[in-house]
Amino acid sequence: MSVFKKIYAWFANVGRVFANELRLIIHDPGVLLFFIALPFAYPVVYTLIYNPELVRKIPVAVVDQSMTPESRLLVRKADASPGIDIYAYCADMPEARNLMAEKKVFGVLQIPSDYAKKLALGEQAHVEFYSDMSLLLRYRTFVSSLTDLQIELIGEETGEKISSAGLGSLTGGLTSPINSSSNFLGDTEQGFASFVIPGIVILILQQSMLLGICLLGGTSSERRRANGGIDPKKVNAGACATVWGQALAYTIFYIPMTVYILHFIPEMFNLPHYGSPVEYLLFIFPMLLASAFLGLTLNALMKERESAFIIIVFTSVVFLFLSGLTWPRYAMSTLWTWVGNCVPAVWGVEGFIRINSNAASLPENSVPFMALWCLAAFYLITAIFVTRYINNKSISESKKAWQE
Amino acid sequence: MANLGFMDGMRREIRRMSSRRMYILGMIIVPVFVAVFFLSILNEGLPEHVPTAVVDLDHSEMSRTVTRSLKAMQVLDLNTECESYDEALRQIRTGNVFGFFVIPANFEKDALSGNGPTLEYYTNMTFFVPGTLSFKGFKTVAVAASGGVVKQTLTSLGLPPEKTDALVQPVVMDINALNNPWMNYAIYLCPSFTMATLALMIMLMTVFSISLEIKKGTSVEWLAVAKGRISVALVSKLLPHTIVYFAVGLFILWLLFGFSAFPMNGSLGWMIAATALLVMASQAFAVFIVSVVPNPRLAMSICALFGILSFSFTGFSFPVESMYGYLAVFSWLAPIRYWFLIYINEALNGVAVYYSRLYFVALIVLLFGPALMTWNLKRMALKPVYVP
Repeated sequence: MSVFKKIYAWFANVGRVFANELRLIIHDPGVLLFFIALPFAYPVVYTLIYNPELVRKIPVAVVDQSMTPESRLLVRKADASPGIDIYAYCADMPEARNLMAEKKVFGVLQIPSDYAKKLALGEQAHVEFYSDMSLLLRYRTFVSSLTDLQIELIGEETGEKISSAGLGSLTGGLTSPINSSSNFLGDTEQGFASFVIPGIVILILQQSMLLGICLLGGTSSERRRANGGIDPKKVNAGACATVWGQALAYTIFYIPMTVYILHFIPEMFNLPHYGSPVEYLLFIFPMLLASAFLGLTLNALMKERESAFIIIVFTSVVFLFLSGLTWPRYAMSTLWTWVGNCVPAVWGVEGFIRINSNAASLPENSVPFMALWCLAAFYLITAIFVTRYINNKSISESKKAWQE
Repeated sequence: MANLGFMDGMRREIRRMSSRRMYILGMIIVPVFVAVFFLSILNEGLPEHVPTAVVDLDHSEMSRTVTRSLKAMQVLDLNTECESYDEALRQIRTGNVFGFFVIPANFEKDALSGNGPTLEYYTNMTFFVPGTLSFKGFKTVAVAASGGVVKQTLTSLGLPPEKTDALVQPVVMDINALNNPWMNYAIYLCPSFTMATLALMIMLMTVFSISLEIKKGTSVEWLAVAKGRISVALVSKLLPHTIVYFAVGLFILWLLFGFSAFPMNGSLGWMIAATALLVMASQAFAVFIVSVVPNPRLAMSICALFGILSFSFTGFSFPVESMYGYLAVFSWLAPIRYWFLIYINEALNGVAVYYSRLYFVALIVLLFGPALMTWNLKRMALKPVYVP
């Protein structure tokens, strides 16, 4: 019987820690800011920043040295393309460079003087385009607009010439003997928000939770120093029961926020959202649990309430890159791949994007899913060690650390 | 100077800074670590060899030629061959590949008989960079395949090769990527991201060091050392920090333009000046926040929010002029925005400093503007109340 009693007592402890932790969360405005306001507002702010999705009509200067109907036609066509807006005609390159230095234009289209002549002679004509490289997105917009323009010209010029060369019967087959069609998966419109937000929201989930947990940990650390090594607001329970009680409190507290972030944010802003809710919610559960245990592990470093800001905030930038959202993971060194492997959100971002944007199933994401469970197990153990260490720390030792 | 309490204030602050490891961590270790991190992770410059697949439904001489040209593309790593579209799509969903290329059945027959078969390629745009790169690789191969057949036909009709080139491609667009022809991601991302991290940590640590005085009730003593003058108290407290941050900033500049040899087409002197102004303007921003909101947690929350969001709304990756106006306006408040613009002018594009004059003015305005609110900080410092 005593074994059952012990088991019962353990669960009762978990329950008491759980209830106590929820009380601590609700009575701490700082934690509520992290647990509610931050996951509520950040996804909206981020989506609004990137919501214009595409960069269109970038101002460009023209240096037309050909001054022929052909070159003017080319400029008109360029102006009509989605990425380019002809801002000004310049007499020469220095004038165009000046506009660029003033950031009035971000590209220069230079049509050489022999442009029309070469076209008339049936030779290849070259056109120079200079792109500012401060932002790769602008360059990319230019490239895709100019490539489409080039293909358009091939269609017109080639068709015309072949028929004038007396090969008219071949025109149909020759201008496009092999067609090609490009298809974009996931982010079909290639929009910036559609690409970046599904990843960022997962990071927001993990980081806001870590900040909140560390704020609670730092506060508890302050209370211990003020009360001779004992935190009067903590339930007296074993390390294992404490960790489970706390982690469950955070995870369950986060469920409504998770549904809001993963389901309603993509719906509200019309972002890619193809996956099944059951599958991505099931998928993200171990990430929440792993993040909670990771937060409890990091509590070892939290000496006061404000520590969380200095230790946690900057990691968002680091984790964003480790997740492979902007820089693919296959191009990372072994070291950074493994550092990334230890971060729950890295697996979370990868799996959630695939389920949400590529309509992948949970079994197709078994690798990140299993990795998340492994991380949860690993950080559970480290969290228990940290909690035991904090509990055992002698009163005099913690008093000594209290200076200033 | 000494009778103003300036030197005493500095001495007091240096003692405080060296008494806690948190200062070394937040002021030196984190910014340097993040700089090294970015340079190391983006070391390759361009993430070539994108894992991709091919679905060859034709199995002909011509389809094998196309597959070979795909394999020859440096930007692609064609590591998977699938038997069907569905199988390739599954490879996308499990993340094994970022794109695939489909060669339809009867491809060779249709191409030679002029029936116009279609080469289809699919790229996963949820991962932007590999998606775009594989798109580029696929498109090149598809266009080349098409052009190859035209050329072959025209040559067989007796046209000279130089004429066929002009027929296949009458106008060539030479797109020149100015000052970053390699499209190197490290050059594009590292300067802005490392300095924005430094600015973030400066704001957090400045709020931390000032609000800690209020939290612990030492702010009364702090002002007393400065003979009750908030300006002296602030300058003597923050100057030692400024020196440390500036040293860290110089080290980061060396990492970028010395060690990594990123383009420096203008004057390093102006970059150093911009970095010094960035450091002080970020400190000033934090002073302003902590003067308005002396609660340490709330002030740090605001600085963290602003610092992290400034990576986005200052337009390092998505241009400010494409954002909604009510968000774009925040970029004007962020010191890092001006540093970024100066960096583009000076280091990347190497244009005359004349074009950066307004950015320098803006940094100087941001540096002195916050002085308007310090009266409130003095009030709070004299009667410190800690709200957790």
